[in-house]
Amino acid sequence: MTEPPTENAVALRAVGLGRRFGDRWAVRAIDLEVHRGEVLGLLGPNGAGKTTTVRLLTALIEPTEGTAAVDGFDVRTQADEVRARVGILTETPGLYDKLSARTNLDFFGRLYGLDAATRAERIEHHLRLFGLWDRRDEVTGTFSKGMKQKLAIARALLHDPSVVFLDEPTAALDPEAAFIVRESIETLRKAGRTIVLATHNLDEADRLCDRIAFVRAGLVRVDSPAALRGALGARSLAIRLASSPSPDALAALRRLDGIDTVEAVDGVLRVRASEPESIAPAVVRSLVSAGGDIVEVRVDRTSLEQIYFDVMGVHPGADGIEALDGGEAPV
Amino acid sequence: MRAAIVWTILRREWMETLRNRLLLSTILVPPVLLTVAPIILAGAVGERTLPADLARQILSQKPEWVSFTPSELAGAFAVQQFLVFFLLMPAYIPLSIATFSIIGEKQARSLEPVLAAPIRTVELLAGKAIAALVPGVLAGWVTYVAFVLLASVVYGRALFGVVTDGSWLAGVFLLGPAVGLSSVVAGVIVSARVNDPRVAQQIGGVVIVPIVGLVLVQATGTLLVGPAGYVLLTLIVLVVSLVGLRIGVRLFDREAILTRWR
Repeated sequence: MTEPPTENAVALRAVGLGRRFGDRWAVRAIDLEVHRGEVLGLLGPNGAGKTTTVRLLTALIEPTEGTAAVDGFDVRTQADEVRARVGILTETPGLYDKLSARTNLDFFGRLYGLDAATRAERIEHHLRLFGLWDRRDEVTGTFSKGMKQKLAIARALLHDPSVVFLDEPTAALDPEAAFIVRESIETLRKAGRTIVLATHNLDEADRLCDRIAFVRAGLVRVDSPAALRGALGARSLAIRLASSPSPDALAALRRLDGIDTVEAVDGVLRVRASEPESIAPAVVRSLVSAGGDIVEVRVDRTSLEQIYFDVMGVHPGADGIEALDGGEAPV
Repeated sequence: MRAAIVWTILRREWMETLRNRLLLSTILVPPVLLTVAPIILAGAVGERTLPADLARQILSQKPEWVSFTPSELAGAFAVQQFLVFFLLMPAYIPLSIATFSIIGEKQARSLEPVLAAPIRTVELLAGKAIAALVPGVLAGWVTYVAFVLLASVVYGRALFGVVTDGSWLAGVFLLGPAVGLSSVVAGVIVSARVNDPRVAQQIGGVVIVPIVGLVLVQATGTLLVGPAGYVLLTLIVLVVSLVGLRIGVRLFDREAILTRWR
């Protein structure tokens, strides 16, 4: 069992955080802790309140209720201290197109109070890190979307923030640009950065996040992808055979420990179990000893998409229309 | 308010302005025209004289011009009209810069990363306002100095005295900056509501209406505003600008920019 995190290990904490616009709550009752070096995904549909949550946690807007703190600094009463400790990639890069990559970063370095030597050193470091050093003196208006997004990430890191917020970093990017940006985030993750990644891209969240917070006008559930699959997703072994298994082979399989169900569909045996990896060797031995010719064995995991639908209470209808189970309407 | 942050904002604003050819031409062309136009007008007026009634009316308001010859009086009256044009520069240049700057940032969505930094919105507003105000005021002053130098050569000593009297000095050096401030305030308020710099300039151009009124009043010769009049106008414009500034600061609030500016 893992030790509970110490106070110093918590980079960001929110308690009962909520924000109302007019009569409508955009998000409410958010309780959250992000530990140092952790990548937390905020996953939810458009309008679920992800951007509002990011803005609340970065002291860009004030909460209507509840509190949040970064490195122990309160977003409401110590907003300047919070802003100095967070870096944010906004939904759009928001660069100054008529200025060069270097001048864009230099401007933000000055805003964060970095001295000239530190600015020069960090600008070079980050431009090299994201492969933009050779284009440093070109105006950013000539950059591709992927390059702009990488430069915006570099801008978010320039002042060495405790927590980096990435709001929809690959939205509206073509697959190549999105790949480049995901690689950049992977680099940050490996460097031990604390990251909050707001996205509606399930694959992105699955690949990059240590934990995923499902957001829909509040936090619906927070857990690691593995734990979500363990708790919500049935897992199975899929075994493709050269020919249909005999009834004796199936009966022998059902007698093995740790197996929930066995069914054969279209030449594929599906063996459901809570820990399919651990029962796989016994299943293979049993089938081979019963004369089965095995072509392929694989562990099937429930997709994050299915888990997402389950957690969010979304059931895509037969004619493609989504139905929402209860909860507040997305804002 | 931290001067270093204001300077950082101001510096970036000017760097962008210098790279915006359309905006630069809007700033640079009119001052050149305003310097040259009076000289051309002087040539056009030549040795003409004013109608006797108008000459009497002008001399009743400007007794210090009584020693002028009839042609000098006509020249002085023509040149006097140009003072208000020197007020147009601090009016429209800051308006152009402020609207391009604020609406440009709205369109590029570049304000959010700035507001995410430890910067106060009043510092951001001050940087933008000064960056817009200074070129307009300086353009007015530099053009005026060039105009005075040319006037002394082309019109002679009598008319040089006209363009350097108290009215001109108060108009250019007091009312000009005040008009510039009102223009920036108008630019901020209008830019918060519209998404096209040209539309913003047309709406914000309402600050020019009183100046045009002043042109018309002076052109008829019914009222030639003196130094005290310009000082009074400066105070009125400053009061109106400060009221507008309070509205502008509220519109420039961090949350308002992020959640209501579209």
